[in-house]
This record gives sequence, structure tokens and C-alpha cells, in this order.
Amino acid sequence: MPYNIAMVSDFFFPQPGGIESHIYQLSTKLIDRGHKVIIITHAYKGRTGVRYLTNGLKVYHVPFLVIYRESTMPTVFSFFPIFRNIVIREQIQIVHGHASLSSFCHEAILHARTMGLRTVFTDHSLFGFADASSILTNKLLKFTLSDVDHVICVSHTCKENTVLRASLDPLMVSVIPNAVVAENFQPLEQGGPPSSIGPNDIITIVVISRLFYNKGTDLLIATIPRILSSHPNVRFIIAGSGPKAIDLEQMLERNVLQDKVEMLGPVRHEEVRDVMVRGHIYLHPSLTEAFGTVLVEAASCGLYVVCTRVGGIPEVLPQHMTTFAKPEEDDLVMATSKAIAALRSNKVRTDRFHDQVKMMYSWTDVAQRTERVYKGIQGDISPEEFYGYYPGQGWEASGDRVRSFALIDRLKRYYGCGVWAGKLFCLCVVIDVLIYVFLEMWFPRVNIDIARSWPKKLKQKEVADSTGNGPDRVSSTT
Amino acid sequence: MPGRLILRRPSPTTVSFTVSNASRHTSTPAKILFYLQILLRALVFFCVVFFNIARLRHSFFNQDGSLVHWSTIWSSPLGSIVSRIVDSYSAWVVVILSAIVIYGVFRKGYTEESLLVIRGLGIQTSTSSLTYLSKASTRFIPTTQIQDIVIHEAFKGFEVRFYLAIIVDGESEVVVVFPKLLPNRAILEEVWRGSRRCLYDSKS
Repeated sequence: MPYNIAMVSDFFFPQPGGIESHIYQLSTKLIDRGHKVIIITHAYKGRTGVRYLTNGLKVYHVPFLVIYRESTMPTVFSFFPIFRNIVIREQIQIVHGHASLSSFCHEAILHARTMGLRTVFTDHSLFGFADASSILTNKLLKFTLSDVDHVICVSHTCKENTVLRASLDPLMVSVIPNAVVAENFQPLEQGGPPSSIGPNDIITIVVISRLFYNKGTDLLIATIPRILSSHPNVRFIIAGSGPKAIDLEQMLERNVLQDKVEMLGPVRHEEVRDVMVRGHIYLHPSLTEAFGTVLVEAASCGLYVVCTRVGGIPEVLPQHMTTFAKPEEDDLVMATSKAIAALRSNKVRTDRFHDQVKMMYSWTDVAQRTERVYKGIQGDISPEEFYGYYPGQGWEASGDRVRSFALIDRLKRYYGCGVWAGKLFCLCVVIDVLIYVFLEMWFPRVNIDIARSWPKKLKQKEVADSTGNGPDRVSSTT
Repeated sequence: MPGRLILRRPSPTTVSFTVSNASRHTSTPAKILFYLQILLRALVFFCVVFFNIARLRHSFFNQDGSLVHWSTIWSSPLGSIVSRIVDSYSAWVVVILSAIVIYGVFRKGYTEESLLVIRGLGIQTSTSSLTYLSKASTRFIPTTQIQDIVIHEAFKGFEVRFYLAIIVDGESEVVVVFPKLLPNRAILEEVWRGSRRCLYDSKS
């Protein structure tokens, strides 16, 4: 049965990025499967109010205070009135939050549980456990995830990380990877048999990444001169911007490598493919990565991938498309040399990569698997089937996993979060419930207009007997 | 207070939609209350005028005119009480208080907003004024300048509300119809259909 789903995240278009395109692609594919999806995000500069995207995807740009890197101020309760209004007018059943750094998402999950809705959370990133900011984020994550119905992670490493950070039951966490639109990442058209690379031909290595510390730019700076000195017929193309760009340029000037390394600066997402097809090898020196969509994009463009064995990266691509290295200078140089040698000996069939990637990753598949999660939490699949049934293991399959909405059960879950934190969280939840009761009295449900849904794509026979009640803007008067 | 729609169609090419949150005074007690309210407003108004006259009795209203014998009024029990009350306050307090009361007397208890559509001529929106003394603010948009009439949604306070808007040629902002009342979607859709039919449909 079709659901009404609200995707909530701080991060959405027009800001470019992986989470943003994930939300968009997933939403469009879910709409194709017959669901109704709306997106709730904060207002961006020049992008405010209620908007429609392709396929009737409705986006609410809620006016809100942005504090840091497009994240909103964590105010815990101030989002509730408008969130309740949107949920009621759109008749939402499932609230799906994205990204653990988005306070919008955490607040929405808390309020949705108070309103008696099922919630899903998708985690897109890995976090540490040791430094102060991680501890704070992890506590916050634990708060939200104590009462979430299901969690989706983009890779198994990410799942492990999230389960540990938020002390979750692993069976409540599903792994659904990202995908790419393979059509947007076609390799160069080649007539005839694939051209072989001779021993003295130029091999181009492409690096596309934001130049930050966690993306491994320091590693890149250390390895480039060593690779170039041992392989004279290698060129680099580096695209991206960030605080480490200046270090990179200094290294180029110190070693006089300007003629061998081309710096492109920032590139837009739709231009990434045109940069990628200029190279043979894609080098990804990242220090932490939950999934690494860019690797899939590179492989789809027919590039051989050299990457560090960190985070979720080893899960992303099969063995024959990649060479792994430890995240250290010597090993990365060695892995790159190995990759260059493999390409020179024409052992790698990069021309087949595109079709293989196309078979492995598709958004339709992601939407299908997400839909199964929705069915599981809505009770359309029995808990035994959804979570797996393990008789004789000492605990019930359904157990506490089907989260009841009773306040006392919710408080019990929050109370277990920590000695002080547990009490604080319980206080927050009780206040939230009181605000909800107050809102129900002050802005009664009956006064809220129900919004019209975007008309579903009708099948041929349904078109014949439909009366054509379109959306207000588009339909023509009869 | 939710508004209600009154539709008038004086000629086949003219429609007027009025949204108002005024009560209808259908039942007898409601009618009696309505007339009582008018009476009360009149009474309060004359009281205020009388108080102000009492305040100014030393400078203007001390001679006996041909119509009113002021000196007898000021010496009567009612007049002396009023004079005493007024004299105990400064002139500014009296002026400000009477201004507030007068505003309350002439204030309308309701808002009325309307949309008048005339085929071949244009659209006129109007919003009723706050008091009985001032006129309604209106805006006329000729047909040639109307690009489209749409229903859209926007954030207002803690809510997302529907609104009917006219997109005007050469203006960066749309003209919102019924900007104060913002009636619900059912009313807006009726107005939207009706006004489009009247503007663009040649059959009716």
C-alpha cells in the first residue's frame, strides 16, 4: 500500500552534495513506486516557501535560523508547531530523517514519535568516539535513536559505527547503500576494440575531492612527488577546493610539477563526468568515508580505482576494479604503482566497468529496499519476517523492536541513555508531549486544511475514466 | 473566526466574491444584540462628547445659548458630578482616553474582503477598513496585466496557509487576494474556479 512519507533534513538542494542527491533520488524513485513524498528542509538563500520539483516532489523550505555549514540552530521544541502543521496537512504516516549532523532531522523524529508516527533515520557519515565534539554528537544521536523505529545505514561499516555510537539493537539497523545514476557517468564513446595502453603512453590520474583534512589531502600532497619521480609518464588532474588547496599548490611549486599536475579548482557535480573521462586511474586518498559514492561514479566512467582501505570503502566496489592501500604514504605509492603497472600490462578491462556498475547500483533498487523498511515498521510485514526469527536464542523476535507509542514505554527507553542524560531526555520528552497537547488545543486539527496530493500517474485504462482533477496550478478548467 | 463566502453575480460577465467573518444575525437574540450594540456605541459616543464639553466648560460652554442653558446643566446633579470627575484629571488624560474610546466606538468588529471580476475589464480586490470612518482599500488590475490566478501555499506564523494570488505583469511580487482572512482551501478553490471561468471562459 502507498505511504505518505516526509523526508526531513537540513541538507537539500540547491546546496550540492551526496546527502542532498541521495534524498532527491530516493524520493523520486519512491514516488515512481506510488508513494507520496514531501521534503522538509530549511530555507536557503533565494529558495524559500513551498516548492514543487520534478514529478510532484513537494519541498517545504521552513524559515529557520542557520548557524553553521547550513545546519540549523538546535532548539529542540521551536520546530514543533510548524512540523505538526505540515504533517497534518500532508497526512504523513512515516517521517524519514537524514544525516546525523542535521538538528532538523533529530527534532522531527522526536516530534513525530510524540505525534504517533513511525520514524526512520538514515545515517550518512562515520564518527569517532574520542574527541569532545564526537561525544556530544553521539549523545545527541543516542537521544534521537532511543526511540526511532528503524535505522538505515549506507554501508556495513557505517552500521557498525552507528550501532556502537547509539547503543542500538543491530537488527533494527538495515544497510542500504547509495547508488549512482549510471546514465550520467558514461565512459567515453569508443568505436571498435578497446585501445591498449603502451609502455610509454601517458597515464592520467584523476583526483576529485573536497580538499579537507579528512579527505586525505595531506596524504595526496606527500604521494604526488614520489609517484611522479618514479613514473615519468604520469599526469595528475586534481579537481576540488578547500582549505588544503594552498598546501597542495605550495607542494607543486616546491617540486616544480606544474606541467604534470593540473589543478581545476571546484567543479560542479554535472561536470564531474567530463573530468573523470579524461583519466585512467581514480585516486581516492580519503581518511574516513561512510560510503564513497564518488568511487562508484569513477568506476562507472571506466576508471581503475586506487583507494585507501578505510570506512565503508572496501564494500563499495568489487576486487577487480580497485587497488587498496593502507592510509599511509608508502603503501599508497606502492598501490598506485601497482595500478599503473596493471594498466600498462592491459590486464584490467576498464571498458566493462560501466555495465557492471550499472548492474550493481540503481536507485530503483534502493527505493525498493527502503520500501521494505517502511512496510516492516508499519506492520505490513510481520516482525518475524522483517527482523528475522531466531527461535531458541533466548529472546523474542518481536520483543522491544516494535516500538510502542505509550509515553511510559518511551520514557523507559530514554531513561536508559545515561545517568544524567537519561533524566534530561525524559524531561525533554515530557515537555514535548505537553507542547503537543497544548498545540492540539490552541491550533485544533480541524482548522488545518488538508493539502491536495499531486495526481498520480494513471495507467492507460484509468486515464479513460478519470475526471482529471489536477493540481491547482496546472489543471485546466473544464 | 473562519470566513464565509458570499457570491454575487449581477450580470453574466461579472462576479463578486466576498469573504467575511462578520456574524450573520439570523436568530432573533442575535438581531437584538446587534441593535443593542449600535445603541451602546451611540450612547458611549455621546457620553464622551459630553465629558469633553464638560472639560471645556470654562472657556467655551459657559454662556447660556439660545438652544442650551449650559449654566443650568453644570449646576444640575449629573452635570456637577461629571464636572468634578473631569476636573480631577489633566486635559491630556481626557484627550487620550476619549480618543481611545472613540476609536473603539467606530471600530468594526469584522473584516470583509472581496474580489470583483469583470470580464474584459479586470479584477478589483478590496479589503475593508478597520473603522467605520475610513474607506476600504482597493486595487484594480486590468485584464491585460493579469498573467494568471493561482492558489499556492506559504508559511505564515506557525502555519502553512493556502492563498489565492494574482500574478501581475511587470511586478516582482504577486497580489494576494483576501490577505487578512486567508480563507480555507475549499473557499479559495471555489473563488479560483469562478474567477477563471468569468475571466477566460467564453461560453458562460
